[in-house]
Amino acid sequence: MTEQQTDQEKLHPLADIDQVIHAPARLMVLTYLYVVESADFIYLKHLTGMTWGNLSTHLSKLEEAGYVRIEKGFKGKKPHTMIRLTDQGRDAFRGYKQSMQQVLDDLPE
Amino acid sequence: MSQKISLKDAERRAFTSTFHDGLWDIFIGCFLLQFSIGPFLSPTLGDFWSSVVFLPFFALAFLVIWFVKKHVITPRVGIVKFGQWRVTRMMRFNAGMVLALTVFLLLGILSLVQFGSIPGWIHTARFSLIFLITFCAAAYFLDFTRLYIYGVIIALSPLIGEVLYVYLKASHHGFPITFGITAGLIILTGLVLFIRFLQDNPLPTDQPATEEPIE
Repeated sequence: MTEQQTDQEKLHPLADIDQVIHAPARLMVLTYLYVVESADFIYLKHLTGMTWGNLSTHLSKLEEAGYVRIEKGFKGKKPHTMIRLTDQGRDAFRGYKQSMQQVLDDLPE
Repeated sequence: MSQKISLKDAERRAFTSTFHDGLWDIFIGCFLLQFSIGPFLSPTLGDFWSSVVFLPFFALAFLVIWFVKKHVITPRVGIVKFGQWRVTRMMRFNAGMVLALTVFLLLGILSLVQFGSIPGWIHTARFSLIFLITFCAAAYFLDFTRLYIYGVIIALSPLIGEVLYVYLKASHHGFPITFGITAGLIILTGLVLFIRFLQDNPLPTDQPATEEPIE
């Protein structure tokens, strides 16, 4: 590790923050999924106040990152989607929380 | 982001959103109606049967609420499964409610046994206390803050009824008046919440037909 790299790390502690989680909308989704076992699409939409398209896009990104598992099924004849946090997502959320706490705690008053 | 993120608040918000529809308020109000109408049935049916006669009514009210939850509320707010912490808390709540109902039943039997041997206000105070404790415990375990207020007004109902009976000679210890008003207020609150809920949460119409995530 060069001296320049070390300085960069000191100067940019936020660079370690998980950008997938850091977006406010995705952080909100992950926060709700972290505190429940699973929720369906409508419930998340209701709690977050997002539109279908918006929520779908953010869930896709979280799924691509391996942070959520989207289970598609049917309730009667209607399609029904349940979403749950994966173990990887749970760990990533905890890591994000710790990193943010560390970054904010290090800031001068 | 100016707001502090609290996981506990997020969980509480997710859980308490299930009480925003006012249906449980309506059910509680229906339950209280028995104390308002029941005294009029006592002379003909007796104390025991004048309470039992309400059981089919409660069952019907419960079925209606279950039906409305399933077909009106769930399509609007969706489904959630809560984590282990909440499940444990709900198990404690259920155990507490079984205990409270047992105490309630024992107090009822005790009151029948002691009827006439102790002043009427002691019976009333016992029931007020158990109402207050039960509703406050339920409010605490369910994070359902309105139940604290309901607990207080329900606990006051028999006491005020007793005062009306002693000073104004109100019939049936004033129960039809006080519990009638309390039940009416709680049902009205539930109806207002239910109507507001339907207005604030229309059926989702912009749902993608296949629910496929949009890339």
